[in-house]
Amino acid sequence: MDRRTFLKVTGIGSVAFAAGCGSETGEKLFTLVNAPDDMVTGEATWYASTCRECPAGCGIIAKSREGRLVKLEGNPLHPINRGRLCMRGQAALQSLYNPDRLKQPLLKKGDKWQPISFEDAIAMIRYRANAAAAAGPNRVRMLTEVVGSTLEGVFTDALAGWNSSGPVMYEPFAYESLKYAHRQLFGLPILPAYNMEQADFILGFGADFLETWLSPVEYAWKFKAMHAIQDGTKGRFIQVSPVQSLTGANADRWIACRPGTEALVALWLIKKALAGGAGYHLPIDFREALDEITSDLDAAEVAAKCDMEAGQLQNLANRLKAAHRPLVLGTASAAGPEAAVADLATATLNVLLDPVLTSYDFDNRHRVEAAASKDRVLEFFKAMDKEPVRVLLLHQSNPLFSLPPGADIAGALFKKNLFKVAFTNSLDETATAADLVFPIQHALETWDTYEGKQFVTGTMQPAMGKAFQAPSMGDVMLKAAFETPPASDYKQLVAAKLTGRPDSASSTEWLRLVQKGGRYFKGRGEGNRTVAPNPDMLARLQQYLARTGKNERHKFFLAMPSVRFFDGRGANKSLLCEIPDPISQVAWQTPLMVHPAVMRSRQWKDGDHVTIASAAGKLTAPVYGYEGLHPDVSAMTVGQGHTAYGRYARDRGLNPLQVLDAVVDQDAGGLAYATQLKQLSGTGKRQQLACFAGSTSQYNRKIAVSIPLAELTAAGKHEKDKHGLTMEDFPFTPPTPAGYDRRRDFYPPHEHDTYRWGMVVDLDRCIGCGACVSSCYMENNVGIVGEERILEGREMAWLRISRYQDRKHPERSNFLPMMCQHCDNAPCESVCPVYAPHHSAEGLNNQIYNRCIGTRFCAQNCPYKVRRFNWYDWEWPDPLQMQLNPNVTVRSKGVMEKCSFCVQRIKTARQVAKDQDREIRDGEVAPACAQTCPTGALTFGSFMEANSRINKLIKDPRAYQVLGYLNAKPAVIYLKKVLQEI
Amino acid sequence: MEILLTTIGILTIVTLTIIVGTGGKPMRAVSGFKETFKAINANRGALVITALTLVVLLVFLYAFYFFPHRNMAPEQPIPFSHQLHSGVKAIDCYYCHPYVERSLHPGLPPVEKCLHCHNCIIANHPQILKEHEYYNTKTPTPWRKVFHVSEHVVFNHKRHIKKEIACESCHGQIREADRLRTHRFKMGFCIECHREKKAPLDCWIACHS
Repeated sequence: MDRRTFLKVTGIGSVAFAAGCGSETGEKLFTLVNAPDDMVTGEATWYASTCRECPAGCGIIAKSREGRLVKLEGNPLHPINRGRLCMRGQAALQSLYNPDRLKQPLLKKGDKWQPISFEDAIAMIRYRANAAAAAGPNRVRMLTEVVGSTLEGVFTDALAGWNSSGPVMYEPFAYESLKYAHRQLFGLPILPAYNMEQADFILGFGADFLETWLSPVEYAWKFKAMHAIQDGTKGRFIQVSPVQSLTGANADRWIACRPGTEALVALWLIKKALAGGAGYHLPIDFREALDEITSDLDAAEVAAKCDMEAGQLQNLANRLKAAHRPLVLGTASAAGPEAAVADLATATLNVLLDPVLTSYDFDNRHRVEAAASKDRVLEFFKAMDKEPVRVLLLHQSNPLFSLPPGADIAGALFKKNLFKVAFTNSLDETATAADLVFPIQHALETWDTYEGKQFVTGTMQPAMGKAFQAPSMGDVMLKAAFETPPASDYKQLVAAKLTGRPDSASSTEWLRLVQKGGRYFKGRGEGNRTVAPNPDMLARLQQYLARTGKNERHKFFLAMPSVRFFDGRGANKSLLCEIPDPISQVAWQTPLMVHPAVMRSRQWKDGDHVTIASAAGKLTAPVYGYEGLHPDVSAMTVGQGHTAYGRYARDRGLNPLQVLDAVVDQDAGGLAYATQLKQLSGTGKRQQLACFAGSTSQYNRKIAVSIPLAELTAAGKHEKDKHGLTMEDFPFTPPTPAGYDRRRDFYPPHEHDTYRWGMVVDLDRCIGCGACVSSCYMENNVGIVGEERILEGREMAWLRISRYQDRKHPERSNFLPMMCQHCDNAPCESVCPVYAPHHSAEGLNNQIYNRCIGTRFCAQNCPYKVRRFNWYDWEWPDPLQMQLNPNVTVRSKGVMEKCSFCVQRIKTARQVAKDQDREIRDGEVAPACAQTCPTGALTFGSFMEANSRINKLIKDPRAYQVLGYLNAKPAVIYLKKVLQEI
Repeated sequence: MEILLTTIGILTIVTLTIIVGTGGKPMRAVSGFKETFKAINANRGALVITALTLVVLLVFLYAFYFFPHRNMAPEQPIPFSHQLHSGVKAIDCYYCHPYVERSLHPGLPPVEKCLHCHNCIIANHPQILKEHEYYNTKTPTPWRKVFHVSEHVVFNHKRHIKKEIACESCHGQIREADRLRTHRFKMGFCIECHREKKAPLDCWIACHS
């Protein structure tokens, strides 16, 4: 008897006796009652829909396996996002499967919630609203997020039936200042799309178009279309702003300015443009008035007020003049002080420099322009004090969190005799204050339309069966508000809207549109709007110039929009909390960003607690030193610091809105996401930051490498021509037999049969947005470890984006996506005592989970630090486990794991190829990260195919391997970031 | 097998008794029968315990490895007979497992498919009434798993069917069994065949993920 059998007998023997030698395993196979036509067990089905995680309205396709959604991808046919998705879109399944999602309507009884049935809840709304409507006009009011026009129509009709005015659409980021500027210039408060891809020079004043601004996925690809290197040149992008957002970090040059002085820079540039002869197309008196206003501006004086150098200003003017198609963008979604003037001045500058308005697409305006300005929203709540509003309907909006405390939303909500209904799936701050919380279908479960832009009517369809019993919002309103509903159900209305015909919900046309994900009109709008400036705007500019004359040196605090949480709606998703902020690399927490010079003078270190106080409030936060700030500015991202909103949001991080004033701009009606600080002082306490980055310095190693454009075009020498053994002259060694050299290599080269998989990462295209990380988590069932475990260093991300600072210019950042490099000479493979890391015939470095005994030698020996050890069994609280990809093993405690190049996708592609008796074509396999990258920075393919895209890309003189001189021969080839000095 | 085990058991006990009785010299059992009997009598307590232990051990080994119903699959909610359906009535496997050619999983028949035939055939049989009950109450039939593959293994039915591997080569003589025998596939079983047929042997690319 050998040891194994002995153990088997002693171990299993006792169990078998206890279980009575039975073979009962309890594993059941459930059959369907009726088989749907489109479901084959084991095969994925895809449904087209529209992402509703932000108002941009990207098209998505939802992957369904055995009736449950497991992954979202961008819809390749959709004109807004062209098959790509951002981090928040990838995480949308977590709002569908949120463990804190409400299952039943809740009625407030005293301090407790009493669950009631959906029918009773609808009857209650109907009764209350009818009674209120009988009492007089405008007794029923509604606040909603920006919804599609179908639902908006239902809301309007329903409220009209209740003798009340239509719904107010509330979005925390409503771009009031930009709409104000366009109202002054074009006569209408509109948000046209920008043809950014056609520009050759972008001057931004804070617009965070890679994170939250208007439509981030769309502008990410448009930005890279103009900014990627082509024929030895690339477009230029300069950002002038008090805080360097992720967008600013992707600019060729970021220039710090004092908060509130962006408009001054723009006005000075207007002066220069007018002097250069621009603006002949504008009305002569307007042009002269502009000239008069700006004529007194002196470069040195402006530069001093803005804390810039006169040379920098002049450089901006020169660049604008030299550019063929310049584009000037305004302020961020969460705009700072004087945003209205800044957007007015920048839009005027844009109009001056773009006589035929080619940079605007007036036919394709962003849907978010339907959102009400903050002054209207505040008025809405104030009016409730005066008007006897009896029923308040709140649809998917959380003003109690997303407006500063000074707005006194709570005061308005806790009025007597006001029945508040919150239509939401989670008990957020506003829902907690409501009397009735009514869960509704998620966007992935419902029929609806959403017009992200005018020419794009995106459809939504139930992409999975009813795991939750909630009805759709449209159906609730049809039942609650109409005596004779306009349609039998909301789906009929959606179909009628889309096809233009009633009763078309079973027509072929409708089915085709739903299958495609919506109706996309071809044809691009030309600038068919003329500039008709309103003379009032001149007064506003003059006022501003008079005011900024006083050179006050206040300390400012800015609330930045977050690429992770948008306005805060993402904070209840564990995935978005777990992915670190691209700038600070801090997860779960909200640090206060302070300039390192200030930290040095106060002797603060990262993690020290600092109290900030403004006229509105106080906040104590851990600090994080960040060079991308004006030294007088401290900043914090919006989105966390909830007091409700589920287990992942509640009491996590901090809410910067707590210290903001609820003061809106008198003209634009926008809220300033900035305030003057009265106090900024240390408390003596400190905490550890849940930071993923060991360091932002490369310590002179060859990790994230950049190259000046001039050097690239001049020399253009490929690294494979080097011969040496040091870091500087080590040659490029592809993971193929071509990379083998007898003098360098101890191990013989690997033989690969048909494929040798590899990836090319273009650092010049990577914007560090983290969409790939989010996609990787969703695809590969990567565990969410939580704040406490991150502090212990237990993060599990297979793919991370590291931020490295430039050695000479610390305000410049390089982003480096880092995943398993699938080395040909893999250091992990040679140290494992049980051969768990295994080199496959196709070059993949396979981690064999059931072989792994957890010695962690491999992680120790991996120079890229991409191997992750399962210290715990990670949990997916019910029903989050429904998002798990059935094609990927869920790893358990005690085993090592890492990026697999999405081997399950390679296998799926192989099945298709084998069925057709051919080999896998180049481009047929896209790992989750490469599939979703909004800028196409990642390319996957085989090195064995001579004409594959990656084989072409590695011929680029920018190609290098991270730490290539270790001779691990990584199969992930990076292309250097191209810098241009401007 | 039962006979073999009992024979071995009895022979062992007898031999043991004789050895104990004769102090290790078995031939004395004939020459000095009386002494031997005395010695056995003196050690009868120890011998009985030893014999009982041996019996228990053999019974355990028998139960653990050879018990006739050990491999019997769990009882199904409806005692479906593969022998009757695919053996006697010769219904094609693909009729009830329709995805076997186009997916990883062969698929199980939805409740409605059973009733396609059983609406007419023995529609009032108590077990079929149970099936009707499942259909009318929209309840999925909770079949019990018979063939087990570890969860880190992806067995692709489509690939094997396309290579014309017969169902029987893994699933055995399904057509001859009323109640199936459960089977846990081990890696050796797969590897043997993959070696023989020169099929892929790569860990992830072939089977795991």
